[in-house]
Amino acid sequence: MKAVAFDYARPRTVGGAIRLLSEKPDAKILAGGQTLGPMLNLRLAQPSLLVDITRIAELAEVEEAPDSVTLGATITHAAVEDGRVPDPARGLLQLVANGIAYRAVRTRGTIGGSLAHADPSADWLSCFTALEATVVIAGPFGRRYVPIMEFMRGALDTGLEHDELLVAIKVPKLSTRARYGYHKICRKTGEFAEAIGVAVDDPGLGIVRLVAGSTQGRPIVVDGIERLEAAADCIEAKLLAAGLGDDAYELSIHVAAVKRAIAGALAA
Amino acid sequence: MTRISLSVNGRPTSADVAPRTHLADFLREQLLLTGTHLGCEHGICGACTVEIDGEIARSCITYAVACDGARVRTIEGFDDDPMMTRLRQAFTQEHALQCGYCTPGMLIAARDLLRRKGGLGRNEIRIEMSGNLCRCTGYTGIINAIGAVMAETGVRQHAPASKSGWRGPAPGPEAGTCDAAELKGPPHAYQDAPAQTRPLSAASTRRPIKVTVGRLETIEGRTSLTQSFVLPYQRDAVWRILSNPVEVAGCMPGMVLDGPPLDGRATGRMEVRLGPIVASFAGEGTYERFDEDHRQVIEGKGSDRRSGSRASGRVEYQLLSTTLDGAGATEVQTRISYVLTGPLAQFSRSGLVRDLVARIGEMFAEAVDARLSGKHGPSARTTHLSAFRLMLRIITARILARFRSFQKKISH
Amino acid sequence: MVAADQGIGARVLRKEDDRYMRGRGQYVGDIRLPGMREVAFLRSPLAHARIKSVRIPSALRDRVFIADDLAGVAPIRADTALPGFKSSVQPVLASAKVRYVGELVAMCIAPTRAEAEDVAAEIELDLEELPAVHEMLAARAPGSALVHEHWDDNLYLTTEIDVDFASVAAKAAASVTRELRTSRQAMSPLEGRGVVAHWDTRLDQLVVYSSTQQPHIVRTGLAECLGIDEGQVRVIAPDVGGGFGYKGILLPEELALSWATRKLGLPLKWLEDRRECLINGADCREHHYILTAYADSDGRLLALDCEASVDSGAYSAYPFSACLEAGQIGSILPGLYDFPHYRCRTYSVATNKPPILPYRGVARTGVCFALEVTLDALARKLGKEPTELRFASLVRPEQMPFDNITKRHFDSGDYPEALRRASDAIGLERVRERQRTPEPDGRLIGIGFAMYTEQAGHGTSVYASWGIPFVPGHEQCQARFTPDGGLELRIGAHSHGQGLETTLSQVAHSILGVPHERIKLVHGDTAQTPYSTGTWGSRCMIMSGGAVAAACDQLADRVKRIGAKLLQADPEDVRLEGGEVAGPTGRISVGEIARTWYRRPQDLPADVEPGGLEVTAGYKAKRDTGTFSYAAHAAVVAVDPDTGELEILDYVIVEDGGVLVNPMIVDGQIWGGAAQGIGTALYEEMPYDSRGQPLASTLSDYILPGPTEVPDIRILHMETPSPYTRFGQKGLGEGGAIAPPAAITNAVNDALEGSGAELLVSPITPRRIFQAIAEAPGAAR
Repeated sequence: MKAVAFDYARPRTVGGAIRLLSEKPDAKILAGGQTLGPMLNLRLAQPSLLVDITRIAELAEVEEAPDSVTLGATITHAAVEDGRVPDPARGLLQLVANGIAYRAVRTRGTIGGSLAHADPSADWLSCFTALEATVVIAGPFGRRYVPIMEFMRGALDTGLEHDELLVAIKVPKLSTRARYGYHKICRKTGEFAEAIGVAVDDPGLGIVRLVAGSTQGRPIVVDGIERLEAAADCIEAKLLAAGLGDDAYELSIHVAAVKRAIAGALAA
Repeated sequence: MTRISLSVNGRPTSADVAPRTHLADFLREQLLLTGTHLGCEHGICGACTVEIDGEIARSCITYAVACDGARVRTIEGFDDDPMMTRLRQAFTQEHALQCGYCTPGMLIAARDLLRRKGGLGRNEIRIEMSGNLCRCTGYTGIINAIGAVMAETGVRQHAPASKSGWRGPAPGPEAGTCDAAELKGPPHAYQDAPAQTRPLSAASTRRPIKVTVGRLETIEGRTSLTQSFVLPYQRDAVWRILSNPVEVAGCMPGMVLDGPPLDGRATGRMEVRLGPIVASFAGEGTYERFDEDHRQVIEGKGSDRRSGSRASGRVEYQLLSTTLDGAGATEVQTRISYVLTGPLAQFSRSGLVRDLVARIGEMFAEAVDARLSGKHGPSARTTHLSAFRLMLRIITARILARFRSFQKKISH
Repeated sequence: MVAADQGIGARVLRKEDDRYMRGRGQYVGDIRLPGMREVAFLRSPLAHARIKSVRIPSALRDRVFIADDLAGVAPIRADTALPGFKSSVQPVLASAKVRYVGELVAMCIAPTRAEAEDVAAEIELDLEELPAVHEMLAARAPGSALVHEHWDDNLYLTTEIDVDFASVAAKAAASVTRELRTSRQAMSPLEGRGVVAHWDTRLDQLVVYSSTQQPHIVRTGLAECLGIDEGQVRVIAPDVGGGFGYKGILLPEELALSWATRKLGLPLKWLEDRRECLINGADCREHHYILTAYADSDGRLLALDCEASVDSGAYSAYPFSACLEAGQIGSILPGLYDFPHYRCRTYSVATNKPPILPYRGVARTGVCFALEVTLDALARKLGKEPTELRFASLVRPEQMPFDNITKRHFDSGDYPEALRRASDAIGLERVRERQRTPEPDGRLIGIGFAMYTEQAGHGTSVYASWGIPFVPGHEQCQARFTPDGGLELRIGAHSHGQGLETTLSQVAHSILGVPHERIKLVHGDTAQTPYSTGTWGSRCMIMSGGAVAAACDQLADRVKRIGAKLLQADPEDVRLEGGEVAGPTGRISVGEIARTWYRRPQDLPADVEPGGLEVTAGYKAKRDTGTFSYAAHAAVVAVDPDTGELEILDYVIVEDGGVLVNPMIVDGQIWGGAAQGIGTALYEEMPYDSRGQPLASTLSDYILPGPTEVPDIRILHMETPSPYTRFGQKGLGEGGAIAPPAAITNAVNDALEGSGAELLVSPITPRRIFQAIAEAPGAAR
């Protein structure tokens, strides 16, 4: 179980990375390699070039603004878990990071890599959807800012072109009155989530947001919720309406995950 | 081969490595440090756990070339480490190992846990250790051993592994490297330009078409589903496109024909992509046209040399006249069936993708619509994606179907 | 004679641990030979197909080998002497047909594995797909496609047992029938298989390093298939990273590398990767049962009637054959119960899947699941506690030793007492009390029990009738003192986690008093050890333990004789204690006696036994029908009816393994076995589609239990000595893996009783639980 032969390049700048990607359409970006590595070893992915972006200093930077924190794409889950970056969501990011896979994966797996891979069962996708974060993308024509819901088109499908690089994620800050809950249902600790529930209630910002993640495509945002206290009862109907009714088990575990996230937020 | 320099167990080391050589193979085959074991080579089992710049990592999915400039520590480098010495005693005392294969990775993960945390309960230790599989012990002795050492060390402050403050995967930009792989491209090749200057892609010029998707069924290993959509054109106009194999191929995701079809046969390939996965099924197809019914049957099969996988499929569609917003329109009813075998089929990942079946149909429908309206077809990239997805969707559906299949009981 | 502190019964810490904890174990993958090349195999992507052509690019022709190249290599055959058995012929490399996904087609050789895989990817395999025989019940039906086209059906073997079954109907007051199924599993030791082969030109000998449990059996198999003398084959099993039955086989890969290394004059290595391990190593546990249990009005078991099928795969694997599981079901299904009527028909079914191997517990895990789950259904029908139903029919201690309805000879024990203790320890009454009020979190609580016996160390009398490629006879140990007073023990079995380097040292220490650090166990090398059928069937502590004791007894006798002479005492007047020969006039250490024998023979008496301080002794139990350790497992679970999630709240095992040589290692075997049993119960499953494609090829798809999936398990011991073994010990290495699927399923079915839902398929996944509830007669949703 060994990868096919590929070339390797290690640009020091975002521009250098984009140039390499432009030149080789089948190049793949290597960050922590925690998703790409297995696919390479299994020969499911057979790129001719890996562009290692972990030596680009800018990509691990943090930019804090009054109403947001922008996290560089190569910041690892472990850096978030350990509190080595500011948490705009007042602990939610840390909570989520702590539950991603295993420590030895979190030390190398990156936020940007997880988002760019767009696996529906990935934690950050659901979490950032609930927080209405914005993806920052650099390409040969400059930078663009894409709301996360538009960024992910479907399972393993994003709006990234082959010569573009996800450079950061901009996450709005929650207010001091915010409360949140996060719950995922997995067959085994650290493995792919079968269902994810996120609940964010921030009276300071006037938002109540519920997300059902690890569906078969994009996370489902449960809209029209005004009070978290009253939310649990209508979840099943909302997820049915969102198209989760095809499989009773799938529906039921997603309802349970969202309800548990709500309960978590209410208990906070 | 790429030259790297790194420190392994405190010793400076330089070596030529193939970029595809993962760190574990480099340690085992080139440095003969065979204490690092390979259990799965896809990042699940934890047997290959080593430290890179003080943080634990999977050496099977970390490439040696990416460790240029890093400090790597393997089980052989912990011989005299006081914490590891204590852990070894506890592992023996609590019978925390049997065959010994998972043990080096288990010990390194356990020591890292003790470095980072203290005062944990048994369940918390279990969760922290969940990245390391042991097939022999049932974990009892392992949890006992770690608990025993943790009880002695007490509640610890989290000791940072690295003083550099680097927040990305180790070793980061400050590492001293051989830099053979360094790309010294001129930074001015890239400048921040205002957003939205990229030319609009074809995808964004398409108009959305609603596609209705029926249930998936798997019979005799063939998975089939139905789709239908309505195009706002007269049936004859649509049939001109959909009766022409070259046009159909043009609208089919990732399809490239070698040349014009002859006698109802064509050869070509279908390239499909899913994230980093690319498969190219080369093969041949036949088509059979029934003009009076406005119906066509296309069958094809091919194999992907890269993965050794094979696929065969059948698409049958029929055009029915209907109306849309009071105007004449055409409903395209499609029945698709697939078989996939080989490595690409051999996954039971159930994260697949109800809404995508509709999106695939949408892509095809939009491509046909674009042809009829004289616009560009969809970009190859997006269609590639959707086609592969369809395949994966089929795989998953088969698994789901299997879950439903047993549960039969006879009872008095 | 027994030094209790460090000998038999002591919690001696393991001698083998240190090398493993420092990364100094030596597994097959760690072996480096000069000029060694690596091998990757091109394997069949289809379950059943005719091979039309294998196209090898001409530039690669010198490093790719296919069936036609392997002239003179005989295929693998593992026949049995059982009447009606149909023989399969397993080619080393597939020639005309492929019969399962993963079957070897071509051997590709390159300097590194990565390059060997590159070579394999260049080969074009043209296959004509045939209908796959993917499901054992369909495979049994008339008109099914045939795995072996010259057979007239897909049955390796059919067996039937009938003990006065016809008369039962009149007597039975109640009966239940259940259809149960267990899924195909991959044993998945953390280290896969692996082979290094080279030809030693000086000794004109093939040397094969293999990750095997049975080096001597592999040696015999290699010699037979390669057509060379057994003296020309040396098999070395170095450190082995877990076996569990997965490595009890003669591999086609071993044969392919052995042939090629001689042809090429280069050492070759093949290491099985995890994808190979899951796809062509999904080779066990797939059973199907239709089982009826009959009881009288008091709830006493009257009869069992069973039809059992085992999906046995495409070929009969060497040495255990395709029939070891199904063929045993008939005789082990009655479990530990005493009842008068019985009928059982079994089918060993050939399918287009990997050949099956016996996995820890062999057929017993499936049998225990079928029987114990059905018994609970019977208890529910009769309105009885499952424990009460069992108490009424368990073999009683005063009946021991007991020949059961299928003539299995239970050696000793108190089965009802084990169940009583399990019931008390888990708190049956408390659980029943708790169940009276709904849980605050909406979960459902259930309790379940399961019991089994584990036959171990069974020998000639059992295996002679099977007629498989080996029959175990006497087990041997070579024991000798070294000139400096150390003790070497050489055995033909292999230790790969069981701790034999420690426990056999304990046996020797008990007899000779030599300190552990001076005792060395040599195993895993046919050139250095006496013949043995290897490590299987929980036999080593009985058989190798007995052999070590026999050899040490002989050494003790010789040491005492020499010691007596040196002490100028009568041999009748000296004792061996604490590593010294003690006589009326003084003491002399065993080490000193050894030094005298080797280095100062002038001090020896003239009539000294010339065999010296080196003996080979053999051992067979007084009765070789095996020891029967047994256990009662009890589980309490909580089930979330909304999500199908299951939590094991408590798990108790009451185990009787006879005299425990090392209680620490015993608990480790039970914990480890139980963790695998929990994998069988809840997680592990290799799904197939109807073309025989396996649908899990990574550990994300095929879930092995991790630290959070295995609960804390409480073990209680009973120690009823076996009357037939040297120290009263019983084999118990497999038992932990037998009962968890049954105990946990019974607990789940207890929890779901109110809904009428019943789980009858393992593993019981959340989805299966959810669907069982949804489809139950009393379904609320």
